[in-house]
Amino acid sequence: MTNIAHQLSEMSPRNFVRLRARTVLTAALASLPMLLPLAAMAKDDDSIAAQNALIALEGPVPGIIAEELPLDLIPKHPEEYAFEGGYTGTSSDAGEDINLYNLRLVPDGRDIPTGAKPSPLFGATPFDQQMLRFEEFGPVPLGAETSVLPGPDFPSPPDPESGPSSSALDSFLNQFITPSLALPHPFPTRKANDPDNGGSDENPWKPQIESFLGRPLVTPPAEGRPPGEDWAHQRFTEFFPKVYLNTLQGLARPNGGARDALQFHQYNAGEWAPGGLYHNTAGVPGTAGTTAGIQVQFHRNFPVQDPLALWTWDGTFPPKLLNVRYGEPLLMRHYNALPIDPAANFGFGLHTLSTHEHNGHNPAESDGFTQAFFFPGQFYDYRWPLALAGHDTFPAGDPKAGTPTGDPRAGASPDLGNRMIQGDWRETASSHWFHDHMLDFTAPNVYKGGAAAMNYYSSIDRGNEAVDDGVNLRLPSGTALNWGNRDYDVNLMISDKAWDEDGQLFFNIFNPNGFMGDQMLTNYGWKPYFDVRARRYRFRLLNGSVSRYFRIALVEMVSGSDGELSGPPGSNISYNRVPFHMVANDGNIMEHAVAFDGASSVAGFENRKGILPSQAIGERYDIVVDFAQFAPGTKLYMVNLLEHKNGKRPEGEIPLAQILNGDYHERSSEPADQPVPDDQSYDSDPAVTRFLEFRVHAYSGTDQSMDPANFVAGLQTMIPLPSFTQEEVDNAIHRTYEFGRSSGTDADPFTIKTSGGSAFNADPRRVSASSTKSGAEIWHLKSSSGGYAHPIHVHFEEAQILRRGGTAPPEWEKWARKDMFRLGPLNDSGSSVDIILRFREFLGTFLEHCHNTQHEDHSMLMRWDIENPGQVRVMPTPLPTWDGVGYVPSFALPTFRTGDPDGADGYAGDPLNVPDSSGLLMLSNGTPFRTFLATQHEDHATLLRWDFENPGPVRLPTPPPATGDDAGYASSIGGSPAAPEASAVAVNVPEPSTLMMLSSGAAFLTFLAARRRRDRG
Amino acid sequence: MKALPWVAAGCLALLLAASFAAPSAAGRRGGSRWGADYFPNVPLTSHEGKELRFFDDVIKDKVVALNFIYTSCPDVCPLETARMANVQQILGDRVGKDVFLYSISIDPENDTLEVLADYAKRYKAGPGWVFLRGTEDDVTLLQQKLGLISEELEDLSEHNLSMVIGNQKTGQWMKRSPFENAHFLAEQIGSWLHNWSKPSLAANNYATAPELRNLSDGETLFRTRCAACHTIGGGDVVGTDPLNFGPDLLGVTETRDLRWLQRWILEPEKVLAEGDPIATELFERFGGISMPNTGLSAEQVNSVIGFLRGEHQRLTEPRTAKAPVEHSAHSSEHGEGHPPHH
Repeated sequence: MTNIAHQLSEMSPRNFVRLRARTVLTAALASLPMLLPLAAMAKDDDSIAAQNALIALEGPVPGIIAEELPLDLIPKHPEEYAFEGGYTGTSSDAGEDINLYNLRLVPDGRDIPTGAKPSPLFGATPFDQQMLRFEEFGPVPLGAETSVLPGPDFPSPPDPESGPSSSALDSFLNQFITPSLALPHPFPTRKANDPDNGGSDENPWKPQIESFLGRPLVTPPAEGRPPGEDWAHQRFTEFFPKVYLNTLQGLARPNGGARDALQFHQYNAGEWAPGGLYHNTAGVPGTAGTTAGIQVQFHRNFPVQDPLALWTWDGTFPPKLLNVRYGEPLLMRHYNALPIDPAANFGFGLHTLSTHEHNGHNPAESDGFTQAFFFPGQFYDYRWPLALAGHDTFPAGDPKAGTPTGDPRAGASPDLGNRMIQGDWRETASSHWFHDHMLDFTAPNVYKGGAAAMNYYSSIDRGNEAVDDGVNLRLPSGTALNWGNRDYDVNLMISDKAWDEDGQLFFNIFNPNGFMGDQMLTNYGWKPYFDVRARRYRFRLLNGSVSRYFRIALVEMVSGSDGELSGPPGSNISYNRVPFHMVANDGNIMEHAVAFDGASSVAGFENRKGILPSQAIGERYDIVVDFAQFAPGTKLYMVNLLEHKNGKRPEGEIPLAQILNGDYHERSSEPADQPVPDDQSYDSDPAVTRFLEFRVHAYSGTDQSMDPANFVAGLQTMIPLPSFTQEEVDNAIHRTYEFGRSSGTDADPFTIKTSGGSAFNADPRRVSASSTKSGAEIWHLKSSSGGYAHPIHVHFEEAQILRRGGTAPPEWEKWARKDMFRLGPLNDSGSSVDIILRFREFLGTFLEHCHNTQHEDHSMLMRWDIENPGQVRVMPTPLPTWDGVGYVPSFALPTFRTGDPDGADGYAGDPLNVPDSSGLLMLSNGTPFRTFLATQHEDHATLLRWDFENPGPVRLPTPPPATGDDAGYASSIGGSPAAPEASAVAVNVPEPSTLMMLSSGAAFLTFLAARRRRDRG
Repeated sequence: MKALPWVAAGCLALLLAASFAAPSAAGRRGGSRWGADYFPNVPLTSHEGKELRFFDDVIKDKVVALNFIYTSCPDVCPLETARMANVQQILGDRVGKDVFLYSISIDPENDTLEVLADYAKRYKAGPGWVFLRGTEDDVTLLQQKLGLISEELEDLSEHNLSMVIGNQKTGQWMKRSPFENAHFLAEQIGSWLHNWSKPSLAANNYATAPELRNLSDGETLFRTRCAACHTIGGGDVVGTDPLNFGPDLLGVTETRDLRWLQRWILEPEKVLAEGDPIATELFERFGGISMPNTGLSAEQVNSVIGFLRGEHQRLTEPRTAKAPVEHSAHSSEHGEGHPPHH
């Protein structure tokens, strides 16, 4: 099967059909004897069906082997001929193929996998395949524009249903790149590369697209980023990309080893070197020191995924990791290599993309706004400044605000230096991820493979545990490279998935409440094992599911019955829970580590030994586990305890004892991991299970990493929380967001109410809130739908939790900066979360939404903007098409600039958990914050845009003429620039209600008129 | 046991499918994965009396917009239906050619063919907009398959209001709120779902989309709840041919008693049922379309009235320097003879 599938992945669809048919029929013939008894059995009740089934098998078989008969002569269903399109024409024939057991129809049933039958396991047994580690993208230094030479265009697909060939993609990915230099063509530009707007290049797939659409495209832009000033890279000169990364979203294909040479470790350092634990990437012959040959496959027993079933980064496995360091701005050129035909998607996922870096301090044009999507054949340049928040207010000078120097590649000369950078070191981030954010299609697109991990390195978290410079926290990592060692620092992306009877990835697009898979994957592998040394490890856990929450426990398996929790009856094994420390929450290193040892205080919440708190979709927990306490040969397991019945919310926790001893799973996956046979539904949630095994190996090195026990509350601090002054708190704008299926007529779909206004579903044109750059705000997140759990994500800026459910948050949130806020029925969630956050450095259009991505798509998502003080116009909304991106006017809620009408008064009680403000807003060098502010190079309030190198036309409305119907404001896009003197009065403009929006309307007309003229011509 | 034959057939099919061990290659395409094997081919009857099969005749290879209604609905169905009428008007003669609109009754007992035909006529349903009825079980199944219900409803009025729009051939399906801007809906149905093989509709319609300012709560409510049927000052919300489902509201705050107006917006079904003469006259004047209860709170009703009052003042007073600014930037896009609509 593997071989055949491998061939298939290289074949055109037409051949694919044929080969598939032959395979199918061979299999059918082989299974004939098996079928007969069943047919006989069914005869009494359904003799027609049985007869038809036999006819179906007997009839066309010989012809098919000759390969010439049309495939549709084989009825897939016994009664297919009863009616075209269905076999009985009644309600009972619906969805047989996808949805044989429509679990939704089972009262109180378990809708897992959502609307589908159990995923077959093809005889695979758990924990017999090696876990894939993330493969590094490996950004390389960006060369000078003057050195760039023209090169061939992005390779185009042979037909609208396919992507470019695998070999063409691999050579394209590397053609402008050596391990030390990138010279991409076309060279990145500040404004989008759109020929209608000053750019130079067209979509290289233009002929294929025209042929598919059946109409001409005049100048379809090469880049899908919205054109013009509004979506130009902010502060491009200042944060000009130093490193570059070429990648693509593409159809599943075998890994050709294209990135082997770009790995920091070069498969030749530390545990990655020959003889190390991680030298062999897949743990099978042929993958030593390379990822070449790794298939897009969840387990070797399962079929290789169809090219259309998974769309991953590069189109390959392993999943990808982007290693970056602060102070080194990066440009990711993201190509869309998906099929031109939107139907070529295996039933789910849309071929237009928008990529969100969760939760980078990035300008809006590189944040992945849901309505800034791009098309097949296009690229989108995401430029991530990698600046510390507070860049504009904290000068360089504190070594804690720093970044590792030196070349991270294996074999580079030792350089363990630290370069100091601007910004607040307390804003240092560590574990991010980036993923698709396509309007209405985020859930299927991320599920389909559109997720990658991202590790930020800094002087504090430099990925070299040996560096003892008084700044480096020395988290477990390794020592072989100058920085960015991953020997003992492991990304784990955990997600649930389901596949159809053929083993191909399955997603139910008609699931309003959330999609549940029935099988747990770690780094896209089904129940793998992972070899570890007997020493400390850092694990960066990411919940990459669509709708499933986790609560993860770590246990050690012991022989005999001495363990605290027994194994299945008669198994002669038992288990002990293993304590560990959480060191980062949502990718941000906390002020103090939190021990999950069952003993420490966690502010009124239960601290349980070896068990993490709930982890919603998109939440990241970094933990440190010490395997030194275990003898080589010991096995440990990660276990998911949180049960779901459907995607609405987690049902509750299953006691660990019942999972381990087999009581919970009467006849499903644990411990035997047998699929549920011909059953209507699972009796239990099959994802409540052991899902990852650790195998301890001897360690001969010296563990130089920090002991997190020295960093718990009361002892040393890791990264203290950024503080807010009392003045900031007192003056903060308050905003209330209520997530629900609200009362009144907006009963469905999901809605968000802002600042006490009406409930709305998503509309990318509607600005629900505009925060002012440099301002602090207090946001109140509430849930008004008790039966649902909503994990809320705020883009751009992480926040501190003031209160959870009206009281102090637990220890692991008290010390944390978070970007995910769980609302819902769980005991560690609750119906409200109050947070404080501030907005700095960058402007534009951002999002806040439920990260149950099915809720997000349907349509619990709202837009908020960051504006300059005194800004009058609202950013227009991009409207991407094949032809190019136009803009439509945005509109705003009445409270968008003012927040809650009753401000802080609506917020009873004193804020809790605000760190002591005394002195914290002093700079670390002792300069008072406000003094420093006054000396900054640029007073942003006088500009409505950020183009320091080229202010261009000042983006202010001209004052309205006194009378007449033609009064209005000049457009900022293509309209006449405003009078320069207007800039001086920016903060004194009249109240927004009469002034905003008009400018962009005119601009859009200009754009459309141009397009129309062109289309006619 | 009723389910037995199905289960038996299912087992057989499962075995067949499993032993074939591969999807039809066609299953790789969204349209066939969400095709005849997924959608029930249940029989439905159109308001014109035609017998149709859901998959074969209603959605197969088509770009469609579907909603579920019942004609005796006291509250939001009329609004849903009016929104569909707006979409029909914007898409014009494409409806019935490459875009198909369907309203399926969830109350087959009361929504007889005659009732549906009358309803269709009242809402000016053109050739491509069909009202359908089927058995309760079949219609429930359709709702389930479209992801519109996941549990039993106590009451018809709790039914899911979403409009489902999709392209069966490509397998793209999305849910949309009936409160959404009709132009935006039409753009998605007419352009996006056609993969932009037709140039964007926005060329003509975004320019006249009404949301161009910082909207007051009253205006927001008016645009989402009222504007499908009502205008202020004769400016028509969607095009040149007013649908005329309800009276123009310019000056309504001056001519009607405030308390009557509040109550009429708050609970129109009761006012009508009491035989209120104004309500009865309106009902008859507008061809039996009753004012829907849009579920506004008392506070929201006042916001809407406040907005109406403000618009009356603004539109009847002589223009000041400030007022025209709001709409002038795109006033040239209005049709001749149409006053600005906001």
